[in-house]
Amino acid sequence: MNIKNILLIEDDLRDVEMTLAALEEQNLANRVFVVHDGAAALDYLYKRGAFKARTTGNPILVLLDNKMPKVSGLEVLKIMKEDERLKTIPVVALTSSREAPDLIQFYSHGVNAYVVKPVDFSDFMKAVREVGIFWAAVNEPPLAACEVEPGIQDGEAIIAGKKEV
Amino acid sequence: MAETSGESLARDESNIEQNKDSQTTRNGLLIAQIVSRTEQAETRTEQAETRTEQAKTRTEQAETRLEQAETRTELAETRTEQAETRTERAETRTEQAEARMERSEEAIRESELNYRRLFEAARDGILILDADTGRVTDVNPFLVNLLGYPENEIVGKTVGELSPFKDLVSNQTMWERLQRDGYARYENQPLETRDGRAIVVEFVSNVYRAGEKKAIQCNIRDLTERRRSEARLNASFREIGVLKSALDEHLDSIRLAAIVESSQDAIIGKDLEGVVTSWNKSAEKIFGYTAAEMKGTSLMRLIPSEFRGEEVQILAKVKRGEKIEHYDTVRLTKDGRRIDISVTLSPIKDIAGNVVGVSKIARDITELKAAEKLRELNIGLEQSVAERTEQLQAVNQELEAFSYSVSHDLRAPLRHLVGFVAMLHQDAGPTLSEKSLRYLETISQSARRMGKLIDDLLAFSRTGRAGVKKSEVNLDLLIPEIVADLSGDISGRKINWIIHPLPVLWADRALLRQVLINLISNSVKFTGGRTEATIEIGPIPGGDNENVTFIRDNGAGFDPRYAGKLFGVFQRLHSETEFEGTGIGLANVERIIKRHGGRVWAEGAVDVGATFFFSIPKHEGAIINGG
Repeated sequence: MNIKNILLIEDDLRDVEMTLAALEEQNLANRVFVVHDGAAALDYLYKRGAFKARTTGNPILVLLDNKMPKVSGLEVLKIMKEDERLKTIPVVALTSSREAPDLIQFYSHGVNAYVVKPVDFSDFMKAVREVGIFWAAVNEPPLAACEVEPGIQDGEAIIAGKKEV
Repeated sequence: MAETSGESLARDESNIEQNKDSQTTRNGLLIAQIVSRTEQAETRTEQAETRTEQAKTRTEQAETRLEQAETRTELAETRTEQAETRTERAETRTEQAEARMERSEEAIRESELNYRRLFEAARDGILILDADTGRVTDVNPFLVNLLGYPENEIVGKTVGELSPFKDLVSNQTMWERLQRDGYARYENQPLETRDGRAIVVEFVSNVYRAGEKKAIQCNIRDLTERRRSEARLNASFREIGVLKSALDEHLDSIRLAAIVESSQDAIIGKDLEGVVTSWNKSAEKIFGYTAAEMKGTSLMRLIPSEFRGEEVQILAKVKRGEKIEHYDTVRLTKDGRRIDISVTLSPIKDIAGNVVGVSKIARDITELKAAEKLRELNIGLEQSVAERTEQLQAVNQELEAFSYSVSHDLRAPLRHLVGFVAMLHQDAGPTLSEKSLRYLETISQSARRMGKLIDDLLAFSRTGRAGVKKSEVNLDLLIPEIVADLSGDISGRKINWIIHPLPVLWADRALLRQVLINLISNSVKFTGGRTEATIEIGPIPGGDNENVTFIRDNGAGFDPRYAGKLFGVFQRLHSETEFEGTGIGLANVERIIKRHGGRVWAEGAVDVGATFFFSIPKHEGAIINGG
């Protein structure tokens, strides 16, 4: 069986570092795979481009920032939740915004949880730790359904469309 | 007859007895004779019996016939009686008929008498003519009197021969019509009487049958007096007609004058020199001058100097006979006001068509003009409101985008600042001096404070944009909830809560909650220095249209001189070291209350405490839209 990976999609390296520091405390950090924008995240999920050779299975959890270059977190979420093979992967939005329209959009596209990054460090650490513990240890994801064969085109087609806009 | 044969038979038998011995020889013969006679006797007996029966039958028949004869006799008698009765009745009827005939003859005699009386007494002239000869057979006294000719000069002549009738329209024609139709009528026939009077008559002739003879009755009615009356009546009617039209004319002028007087417009007459000749009530009302003041004076005093040139030009046109309709100009009233009027000028012409004056109808349109201006102003206002609204919407959208950026982009660096200071502290804490550690703590505190500022500002911005969704909010339930939520901040402190029964408010629940959290947590914060803090929440009685709620504390209070600054954004009356705060909470409170159409204010004194009041309009007449 594959290692239970966590995919962290976060463009801000400082947030990455802080998030990893928080997950480190739970010994989860070594299982985190980080990509820095939505496009790379989709490449990873669909095993294409730089991730064509990915041998590990699909993540058991996706931690998703919203405001990112190229493809936003919300767009990644939409693609995942519309794809039968990816929609069962739990996605937790981990963002700076607590604006109501963002929350409504994420939830209406099927996000599994929405966590606002607290400014206070200890609050931040606590929040990320709890997310890690719950989703990586407590929660039981449907692993068998998470595998995706390489070379799937539909995700890429949608991204190409987005780029043109 | 039967008795006779029986006696002879008995005698024969006794003879036989006496001679039997002696005459035995002859006995045989005798016996035979006896038998024969016996048989004969029997035959005769039978015949006698038959005759007897026949006689009986005839007797019966005779009796029957007798009865019938008697019956017929009775019937005949009855018929005779009836015939007698009928004869009597016929005689009675004959008598009655004779009586009636007598009466009838009497009636005829009476009728003839009556007719004669009528004929004699009639108020119409009557001629009776023989229908065959056409000659007068009778004339009544009235006609004799009317014509003035004696009866004997009339009777025996034809109508044509009578000098008064000699002009009667075609005697011949009348005669023909009478023969054909049995009737002729001529109206308005002029006649001349014996004494030369000219009269007018109606001449009606009828043919009628008197027994075997035909006669003609001519009725001559004198219409002279009637015709004269009619002529007099017609003259009167004509006279009345003339009078009536004169009266109508007079009434018209009265009505016209009344219309002029009651008109809402000023109606003014003036001569060609501009001197007023008439001045109605509305003119008095509009210009302030009475008719007495104006009549005989010049109109010029009503005209502002800058309009006099225009007046001269217009008058020149009217003098040429033109009509000027609805030109707007300005006039002066007696009390010196300038009024807008709309004027129609018409020339007044004499019978020859010469212009002798000017009639002027003036309407005060000052209010109309004002209304027009107001309408224009309103349209302008509506346009600018629409433009402003559009601008405001654009600004709001920008603000939303801005808030979003602030929310996301400004918070991230702060988070990193705090985060990395904390990690530095973890990593290098043991090696750092006290001083360095304090520096790190200050950096962290400042960043956290900035984070709080950003959050509060965003909340403040959101209250400005969010819609106000009103419903009934029960303060008796809401306030204990909020106090319970604040329990974390007040642990270890002694606070005396006095919460009075509170009203149900018509407000946006979420926004009102923010108001109460702000005010109550302020009280909690500013009573921080009191060993015995008292926070009192209750309603202020009165106020028909609004509910006023107060929150009072015995905390640090404030200098009432600066009360006006309490609700400004970033305005603080205490230093950060005394009491933490961003200076946004009360600004937010004021904004929310104002958006409910209410007011917020505060009373206080330094070191005594503060009381904050806010009002929310009641449901009826509440201002629903936000500010």
